[in-house]
Amino acid sequence: MEQTQLRTYGVRRVYEATPGEGDTIALRLRDRVIELGTRENDAYGKLVEWLPTNRKVAELTAAAGMDEARLGRLASALADAGLLYRRADLPAEVTGKQFYDEHFAPALDSWLSEAFAHPYWERMMTGKGSARLYTGWAMELYHYTKNANRHMPLSCAHTRDKAIKLLRAKHYAEEWNHYHYFATSLRALGFTDADIESSVPLPMTLALSNFMRQAAREDILAYSICSAVLEGTTVNRKTYNPYHEKVTELYGIPKAAVQPIYDHLDLDIQYQHSNLFLDIVSTVDSLSAARAARVLEYGHQLVEHIWMWTDSIEKYYGNDGSPVPRRPFDPFLD
Amino acid sequence: MNTAIPVLRRSAKVSRRDGRVLIQHLDEEISLEGAGAALLDRMLPLLDGKNKIEQIAARLEESPARVRSLADSLRGAGVVSYLDPGHEGGGTMTGAEFYAVHQRYSRYWLRDVYQHPLWDKITNGTASRAQVIGFAFEKYHYIEGAYEHMAVAAANSTKEMMPHLARHFIEEYLHGDIYRKGLQSLFPDDLVLHAQPLPSTRALVNFLSETAARSSFAYYAGNEVLQLTENTSDGAVSGSIDDFYAAMRRHYPWSDRLVGSFIAHTHADQKLGHENVFQEMCDSIPPLSAAEVKDALNVAKLMTEHLQLFMDGIDIHYGNNPSVPRLPCDLLSE
Repeated sequence: MEQTQLRTYGVRRVYEATPGEGDTIALRLRDRVIELGTRENDAYGKLVEWLPTNRKVAELTAAAGMDEARLGRLASALADAGLLYRRADLPAEVTGKQFYDEHFAPALDSWLSEAFAHPYWERMMTGKGSARLYTGWAMELYHYTKNANRHMPLSCAHTRDKAIKLLRAKHYAEEWNHYHYFATSLRALGFTDADIESSVPLPMTLALSNFMRQAAREDILAYSICSAVLEGTTVNRKTYNPYHEKVTELYGIPKAAVQPIYDHLDLDIQYQHSNLFLDIVSTVDSLSAARAARVLEYGHQLVEHIWMWTDSIEKYYGNDGSPVPRRPFDPFLD
Repeated sequence: MNTAIPVLRRSAKVSRRDGRVLIQHLDEEISLEGAGAALLDRMLPLLDGKNKIEQIAARLEESPARVRSLADSLRGAGVVSYLDPGHEGGGTMTGAEFYAVHQRYSRYWLRDVYQHPLWDKITNGTASRAQVIGFAFEKYHYIEGAYEHMAVAAANSTKEMMPHLARHFIEEYLHGDIYRKGLQSLFPDDLVLHAQPLPSTRALVNFLSETAARSSFAYYAGNEVLQLTENTSDGAVSGSIDDFYAAMRRHYPWSDRLVGSFIAHTHADQKLGHENVFQEMCDSIPPLSAAEVKDALNVAKLMTEHLQLFMDGIDIHYGNNPSVPRLPCDLLSE
C-alpha cells in the first residue's frame, strides 16, 4: 500500500454529532466536545472514510479538495484536538489498574449513554410508549437475569487464576437467583408462573447471554468488563427511578410490579458489584496492548448489544399482533 | 372416534367475508360457505383443545358425525389438529414426516426475512455505501463463523451425525475466504480480518454454536434453514437473487468484486450439492420423539428470527453509522 503520513493516524470514537453554534458541527468524544466548521468537518469525514480503505491518497485529496500537505496539517490539528490519535502513541502494555483508571472508567459514562440512546427510552418517558412495551421489557429482563446462570458459572469454569475465580464465584452466589425479582414483577403484571416459566426470550435477549458465554470462554477480563458495563447500568438510582416512576404514572403500571425492580437494584448497590471489575483487573500486573484492546472491544460490543436488545424489545412488543408472552413453537398446536 | 379433541392451530387466522368463513394458516387459505361455514362459526369457540368431538356436538346440538366430519376436513387441510398422547410427549414422528413439516414451516417463516426492507434498499439504490459494504462484511463474518459453529457441531456430534457434520465443516471452512477476497478489493486484508461483526451477526453465529454443542439434529435443522436461503433449485428465489446482484452492480459499480465474491460463494455452495443432505439424513434416522421434534422446530423458527435480526442489524447500524468497516478498539480509540 502507498506510504503516507496520513495512514499513521487512528480515529477516536465519536458518540454524537449535533449542530453546533453558528455554522459548526459539535462532535462529542468521551471527554470533550469539539466543534468543526462545515469545511473541516467535511474533510474530517472524508479522511475517516478513506483511512481504512485501499484507496490512493490522490482519491482523498480529490474528494476533500485539499492537497496532501494541507490534509497532513489538518490531521495533525485533529489529533491535537482529540478526534484522531497517533498510532505511535499507543502504549505497548498497561497494568490492570492503569487499564481501569485510564481506559475503562473514563469511557464508561459515554458507553452507557450510547447503550441507552435508543429512542425507546424517550418514547416511554414522554407518554408515547405503552404498558405493553413496559411489560415486554420486564419479560425480557426476567430472561436476561435468569440467563445469568448460563454465563456466570461458565466464567468461573474457564478461569485459571484463583483470586479471580473466587471473585467471580462470589458474584455468582450473590446473583444467581435474582430473576425472582422480575418474576414477582411479572406476576404483578398479571402473568401466571406457567406463563413466565414457559415463555421464550427474544433472539437478542438470548444473544446477550450467548455473548457473555463467548466472553467467558475467551478471556476472564473480557467477561468481567462486560459484567462491569452491565453493573454500571444499575449503579445510580437517579438514573432509573424516573423511568419507573413515569411508567406507573403514564401507563398505569402497578407499583407492585415496579417495587421488586427497585428492591433488586438496591440489592445490587448493597453488594457493591460495580467495584468488582476494579478488584479483578487490579490483580493483573500487565496487559499487552493487544489483550487490552480486545477487552475494551468486548466492553463496547456489550454496549452495542444493549442498544440492539432495546431495539428488538421495541419492535416485538410494539407490535400489537405479537403474542405476549412469547410461546415456544408447538407443531401440534401452531 | 368422537373422543378426539380438536384444536384450531394457534397460528391460524379466521376472518369472515361475504358470508364465508376464511381460515388462513401458513401460506394457505381455506374457505367455507353455506351450512359448513355456519357450523364452523359455531364450532370455533369450542376448538380450544378442551372439548372432545362428542362434547362439541352436544353443546351445539349437532350430530357427532357431522361435527366429526367437519373437524376431519379441517384437520386434513392442516388448520386443526387432534390432541393426542403425542402432544404430551409420548408420540413419535418419522424423519421423513419431520422433513416435510420442517420444510413447510421454515419456508413460511423465511417470508419475513425475504421481505426485509434492506433488500429493496439495495435493489433500488437507496441503501447507503455503508449499508452495502456492511452487508458484505456481515455476510463475511457469518460465513467465517463456520469455524465456530460447524466445528463445534462436528466436535459434539452424535455418532450417527458425525460423518455429516464432519463433512460439512471440512467442505465449508474456507468459504469465508471467498468473501474476504471480495472485501480485499476495498480494504487491506489485515483490516478485513480484524473488523468486528455486529451484535446481531454474533447472535446468529453464537446461536448456531450453542445449538451445535447440545443437539446435533436440532443444529442441522437450524442449519437447513440457511440452506433453504441458498437453495437455487427454486426458480423464483434463484431469479430474485440474480436480480439482486445485477441491481447491486448497477447502483454501486465499485461493488463489482464484492458481488463477484457473493456469486462465487453461491456457486461453491451449489457445487457441494448440500440441498438434499438434510432430507437424506431425515430419511435415515430412527423416529423422533415429540420433544425432539419440538426442539428442532423451535431451533428452525429461532433461526429465521435470528436471520431477521441479522438483516435488522445491518440496516439499522450501517444506516445510522457511515463508518465501515467496524474497526476494533485499541487503547486510544475510546
